[in-house]
Amino acid sequence: MAAALTVSWSALAAWPHWLIVLILLPLGGAVLTPALYALQRRLVPWWALLVAGLTALTVLPLLWRLAHEGPFSYLPGGWARPYGVELRFDEFAALLAAAVALLAPPVLLFSRRYAARAVPAGRLPFYYTLLLLNLGGLLGLAITADLFNLFVFLEVVSLSAYALVAVGGRPVAELAAFKYLLMGAISSLLILLAVGILFALTGSLNMADVAQRLPALATPAALTLAAAALLVGFMLKAALFPLHNWLPEAHASAPGAVSAVLSGLVVKAGIIGLVRTYQLFAGVELLDTANLGAILVWLGAASVVMGSFFAVFQHDLKLMLAYSTITNIGYIVMGWALASPQAMLGASLHLFNHALIKTTLFLAAGALIYRTGLRTLEELRGIGRTMPLNCAALALGALAIVGVPPTAGFVGKWFIALGALQAGRPFFALVVVFGALLAAVYYVRIINAFYFREPEQKAVVTAREVPWSMLAPVLLLALLCLGIGLLARLPVEFLEPAVARLLDGRS
Amino acid sequence: MEIVDPRPLLALGISLACALLVFATGRHYGRRVLWSMGAALLKFGVVISLLPGAMAGEVYLFRLVEFPPGVGIGFRVDLMGLFFALVSSTLWIFTTIYAIGYMRGEADRAQVRFFGFFALCVAATVGIAFAENLLTLFIFYELLTVCTYPLVIHKETPAALKAGRKYLIYTLGGGGLVLLGLVLVQHAAGTLSFGQTGLLAAGAHDGPLGGGPLGGGQLGLIFAVLVLGFGVKAAVMPLHGWLPSAMVAPTPVSALLHAVAVVKAGAFGILRVIYDIFGLELLAQLNFTQALAWLAVVSIIGGSLLAWRQVNLKRRLAYSTVSQVSYILLAASLLNPTATVVAIMHLANQGFAKITMFFVAGAIEQGSGRTEINQLDGIGRQMPWSLAAFTVAALSFIGVPLLAGFLTKWLVILGALEGEAWWFAAVMVISGLLNAVYWLPVVYRAYFRPVTGVVADPGWLLRGPIIACAAFVVLLGTTAHFHLLPFSVASEAARVIWAEVAN
Repeated sequence: MAAALTVSWSALAAWPHWLIVLILLPLGGAVLTPALYALQRRLVPWWALLVAGLTALTVLPLLWRLAHEGPFSYLPGGWARPYGVELRFDEFAALLAAAVALLAPPVLLFSRRYAARAVPAGRLPFYYTLLLLNLGGLLGLAITADLFNLFVFLEVVSLSAYALVAVGGRPVAELAAFKYLLMGAISSLLILLAVGILFALTGSLNMADVAQRLPALATPAALTLAAAALLVGFMLKAALFPLHNWLPEAHASAPGAVSAVLSGLVVKAGIIGLVRTYQLFAGVELLDTANLGAILVWLGAASVVMGSFFAVFQHDLKLMLAYSTITNIGYIVMGWALASPQAMLGASLHLFNHALIKTTLFLAAGALIYRTGLRTLEELRGIGRTMPLNCAALALGALAIVGVPPTAGFVGKWFIALGALQAGRPFFALVVVFGALLAAVYYVRIINAFYFREPEQKAVVTAREVPWSMLAPVLLLALLCLGIGLLARLPVEFLEPAVARLLDGRS
Repeated sequence: MEIVDPRPLLALGISLACALLVFATGRHYGRRVLWSMGAALLKFGVVISLLPGAMAGEVYLFRLVEFPPGVGIGFRVDLMGLFFALVSSTLWIFTTIYAIGYMRGEADRAQVRFFGFFALCVAATVGIAFAENLLTLFIFYELLTVCTYPLVIHKETPAALKAGRKYLIYTLGGGGLVLLGLVLVQHAAGTLSFGQTGLLAAGAHDGPLGGGPLGGGQLGLIFAVLVLGFGVKAAVMPLHGWLPSAMVAPTPVSALLHAVAVVKAGAFGILRVIYDIFGLELLAQLNFTQALAWLAVVSIIGGSLLAWRQVNLKRRLAYSTVSQVSYILLAASLLNPTATVVAIMHLANQGFAKITMFFVAGAIEQGSGRTEINQLDGIGRQMPWSLAAFTVAALSFIGVPLLAGFLTKWLVILGALEGEAWWFAAVMVISGLLNAVYWLPVVYRAYFRPVTGVVADPGWLLRGPIIACAAFVVLLGTTAHFHLLPFSVASEAARVIWAEVAN
């Protein structure tokens, strides 16, 4: 026992199998959840929390190894590339994996009391199963290195997400889930089509291998079709304007903890998909990737502006947060598509930071609804007096998402704006600043309503803080919104080489 | 000589701690008063302890955290920043005493919010004064916006909320411009740190990000964006609309807006843009300050004309601020040593005179409910101390010798003549006349019209700060040659700025 404790970090990180453990843990945990429910139903929330915590711990040795050795692969069963399946942990996979690791335990801790009320009792085991499946799917999606598994994990994520939206059983939510399902199915079909075309063209599914073979092909029509299908498919998943209209209802009507996961993490699956698409086609000269980039930059900018524009006119707190997700996805896509080192760096940072901030906001909003049952700003007036800590967390999250320095939301936007200048396109730096101002408009409305208006509803006057098991995760995440902004130096230094490699075409 | 010293952070921390303590335990009257007064005095002590060293040529540095590499939160005490911090922390003491008296009747909840956010605003002001780089300045500049908002809408009436909304739209818009300028400067110069005789001058030739030499167009854009961004808070016309609307707030808040923090933060930001970001040499080659000077002239004359038309005392005061703060901008844009002295000095001159007048206006309103100028007949006989102080401040604005305002006018005129711009000297004379035109009638009414109605005694908590601030106006006007008093600090600061150019 003592010997096990003294094992040094590097030896721990050198164990080769962490990468597969990272997927098997949450997926296995998910499968066992219904069984545990049948035996000992009160343990289920703790079980889910345990699985999430262990998964989070698994990410640590992986990050350690990545920081010291650079990207590395794992070949399950020892089958050589490109014949076998490959898992690969690069900086972009690490971003999403780290976000999942950081956010899953607080979300599940929050869920214990929250879901007991928001989800019908009979559906509780499904709630936890689906949540763990979803997180496992996201991790798989992040680290998979072959196209078919990319599709499979994307489906795991999507299917569990549809069900999670509806799990609370409200009719509105079920309708939203159905709409989400329809749009998601189109997206999945497109991606499957593209994977099929690429396999037919190259005879390979390993992404690095496919990327090497593609430049040699002389079939522009097929290539264009594949690229376009992937692009549109992932854009739908990411809810990029104008393919965003499924998102607000789905995210707003889901239970609070689910909204946090959907808005913080699941839309990022689409972004990771776009990154992988970019890596696939970066070397193909037949396809003008600069042109694709030009389209995405404009769509990103449109998302930034339109998302905020819609959010300004909402009354429902969660709908505002949902529209704000569209804005932030816009920032990330815009940063990526600007394709200058600093803009890509900013987009990558924002991918992680937005996950953190949006989770904070949705959990805090969920706590308000948990206590009062009210959802609109007018009804929630004056809630800052009766739930001061929770509202302080929400206000801090709001400042962070507007991008007030030195919060986490600032750094990403800062680099995207600098990157726009670096790319010689100052207009998009202007979009970043303008977007921040627009966001300030509706987040100020929220803060105004909570702190500076007299309460009107009885439920607001009699509200009190949520139990500690819900308040603690919210407060912790809110503090991280500030802390990670102050420590931004670390991720910047971590990501810079990855961005440089990506731009050189050596992924 | 640069020295690492935590005192700038300490000064900031005292105000922050005060805010936290007030929020946590401020429902108790005694504690609220104790924390606020204690912090005000303690902070003044810390700030003034930096003065002797700074006058001896030392620059205190304290870097807190670097978040994007190369850019971060850091503090640097140079004389110009120290001067601003001294003005603000001196005024904080008087405003705190006044506010304790003025807010007595309010509910505890409202008072906690007031004193808490007031302390946060003052913390932000110190942050602005001691900012080591443009990003730090921007952070505290925005913090100031956020923290003044609850004060502006203190009364929570529809009118107050509307004024608050207007305030936020203007100042956040200005903040957006500053942010844009921040990104442009970082891109062009590769750094945001002050104290290098012109960031852009150093980076103008070859930016480290491969931006290449900057063209006049790019520099012009940066100058316009930053000056307009800071100009919103400095209430430069036509960006002054928020200032008169914000008069719905309680009097101590007006004092904060007009004298202690907000408009000064804007003016101070422009000083940093001129002296630290562009630098005197680069600006001397470019013609941008000419435009700024004319913008200031428009504000000086336009603000006075608008003030003349007001019948409400506080609104007249507000428009007069529009006019007065632009003296700083005019002086700064003249780009010669004499004018630099007054650009810095006027931060204090305007602050003490204007805060005196606001305190008096508040005391009158508190004691008699009168807010319009035509209701002030004979009030000088009912409130002799307060109206005497008011008269001193008014005479200072007109430019009567031995008062602070005279020095300002005198030096701006000298500076203008030194720069062979006699028309700016003429503007100062006209402005003095306009000040006489709209302040002397108030004084006349107060002393020479028959008494009407009764006025309750404002009490010493209000009267004390009024007299003290008026005394400062006299002090500032008569002690120009004493070492370590404000004028010597301002002229030393200007000497340092110009000495760097000479090297």
